[in-house]
Amino acid sequence: MDEKELQQGRRGFVKKTTALLSAAVLAAPSAKAISLTNPGRESGDARYIGQEGKRFGMVMDLRKCVGCQACTSACKSENRVPKEKFRTYVPEYELGSYPNVHKAFLPQLCNHCAEPSCVSVCPTGATFARKDGIVVVDSEVCWGCGYCINACPYDKRYFNPITNVADKCTLCAHRVDHGLLPACVESCVGGARVFGDFNDPHSAVSKLLSSFPTTVLKPASGTKPRVFYIALSGEIQSLPYSPKVLDDMARKIDGIATHEWSGKGE
Amino acid sequence: MDFGTLLHTINSITPDRPWGIDIPNYFWFTGSSAAAFIISSFAHVFGMKEYKPIAGFSLLLAFVLLVAAPMNLIDDLRQPGRIINFFFYGWENFPTSPMKWGVLLLIAYPLLILVEALVLYRPYFWFSKGIVRSQEQIEKDHHLGVILGAIGIPLALSVHGYTGYILGAVHAIPLFHTPLMPILFLASAMVSGTGLLIILLPIFQKFFTDFKRVDMEMMQRLARLLAWFIVIDLVIRFFWLTFAITFNGEEKYALKLFFGENFWEVLIVDYVICLFVPMIIGFTNYFVRSFKWVLFAGVLSAIGVWIFRWNTVIGGQSIGKTTPFLLEYHPHFTGFDSILSVLSNWSLLIALIALVMVLFPWDKEMANYYVKHEER
Repeated sequence: MDEKELQQGRRGFVKKTTALLSAAVLAAPSAKAISLTNPGRESGDARYIGQEGKRFGMVMDLRKCVGCQACTSACKSENRVPKEKFRTYVPEYELGSYPNVHKAFLPQLCNHCAEPSCVSVCPTGATFARKDGIVVVDSEVCWGCGYCINACPYDKRYFNPITNVADKCTLCAHRVDHGLLPACVESCVGGARVFGDFNDPHSAVSKLLSSFPTTVLKPASGTKPRVFYIALSGEIQSLPYSPKVLDDMARKIDGIATHEWSGKGE
Repeated sequence: MDFGTLLHTINSITPDRPWGIDIPNYFWFTGSSAAAFIISSFAHVFGMKEYKPIAGFSLLLAFVLLVAAPMNLIDDLRQPGRIINFFFYGWENFPTSPMKWGVLLLIAYPLLILVEALVLYRPYFWFSKGIVRSQEQIEKDHHLGVILGAIGIPLALSVHGYTGYILGAVHAIPLFHTPLMPILFLASAMVSGTGLLIILLPIFQKFFTDFKRVDMEMMQRLARLLAWFIVIDLVIRFFWLTFAITFNGEEKYALKLFFGENFWEVLIVDYVICLFVPMIIGFTNYFVRSFKWVLFAGVLSAIGVWIFRWNTVIGGQSIGKTTPFLLEYHPHFTGFDSILSVLSNWSLLIALIALVMVLFPWDKEMANYYVKHEER
């Protein structure tokens, strides 16, 4: 082999190796091109972009909530939420001291905050807000570090034991994108949950906001939640830290203490 | 008005808490690594001759700890196979996600220590091949070592400081949310790192060198250093707790509940037994002259800092955000994020220490300071 042939052989080798390496690099993250942000958003996938110009959220009219948990079960079946996990639920509170007591219900779901603390801390960009304000998790990108779960002041995130990544309420984005209402809103028997676009002054949520005094959960956390409450009791607004109570007794009866994390029941 | 008498939850769910036993272990590893690096820099960068004999050993220890540390993190992930996503995606969150800073820090820092160790031990590697380095070359290496060490100090502080930042940035958890967290982490890291050196140094000097004797003077020096680090640690904890529990807003109720309920684990075990006792040993002439007491102080402080990491990570997550009272954590024995995985990580650490100590001629370097020329 003379020198020229040798050089060509080398060149061919370099070319082939470069081509192979670049193909491998491009194919590596499940055949998606490398992006420094989120591949779904980069590629312009409508599910990741959302509805531009809109700002979705919810108003909870607590005067109408009866604590029936229809929303809880509708959400679980619509979104196939795994056993013992919840995207929305309605805790029941007992306020006051005997004999002056009354009950209160507090339907809760992801607040789809305008300043979501879960989004800013996500090290893979798997959690992000769509253009319409709906905060979603890309279950292909999430690596399950749990930072978002700890960062959420509302405890509205969980590890999905099926996908093994962080999961949360999506405001039923898959339904909303087809012009439907979220499952919890559609199933609410008292009409306590009202869903809509805050940017539209004629939407039901905008009208409720302008007609009634509203408040949000834990306003001091600075996350600017976009789930507003009408007639929210001051005692439960910031979900204060209280001594071990009925919850823990219930946990003990349910035998939840065997879990890795559980209530410190007596 | 006491909310507790007013408010009862009749039904709610047990919320997810993601960080288990792996995470305090990770923080302990990175912290001790940073401390070991700083102690080696006492000699390499600041020219403190009294720390020269252990500078190389300490540097190698810093390297090994930092190589083993991220294994805890990977084990804690629910999708460890997607580690590549950490490098490819989410760079838009770089300014606001302290965890993301780890991409750069956890790569740069161990590489830098490795290069520094290679430069430091270059004459010994060459000597074993029969090549003697010239005085000029040795001086050049020394200069390079000082520069690498000087870059390494802020890097070591950042590597451990950022882990404190990860927690401090979580405003949803009252125990985490303090700007003091990175400093607090660094101060306690210096304690555990010094404690670990006190434990390992006599073992290695006694059993794995030719001179086979423990440098008691160095042990005393480390014990005094440990005592001073504990003073700094306690001062910062004093500022943290007195401020957070007295002058905080809503968070102070959670902290009162937490420290009240965990009084024994936190204040008696961590503060009194694992910090005050080693501090007294380090500062008392009677104790500091005794090898056993110094070793005891080292063991106590190393364990104490582990308990501090545990109390912070697990304790912080135990505070309810939407449920009343505290949660309880029972780590699994097997599987991901379990007691067994932490033990495996420690086994990996020990294996790596053994490997690195076999590969690097730290004993020959150390012998320079302990063996007179006639003996050699």
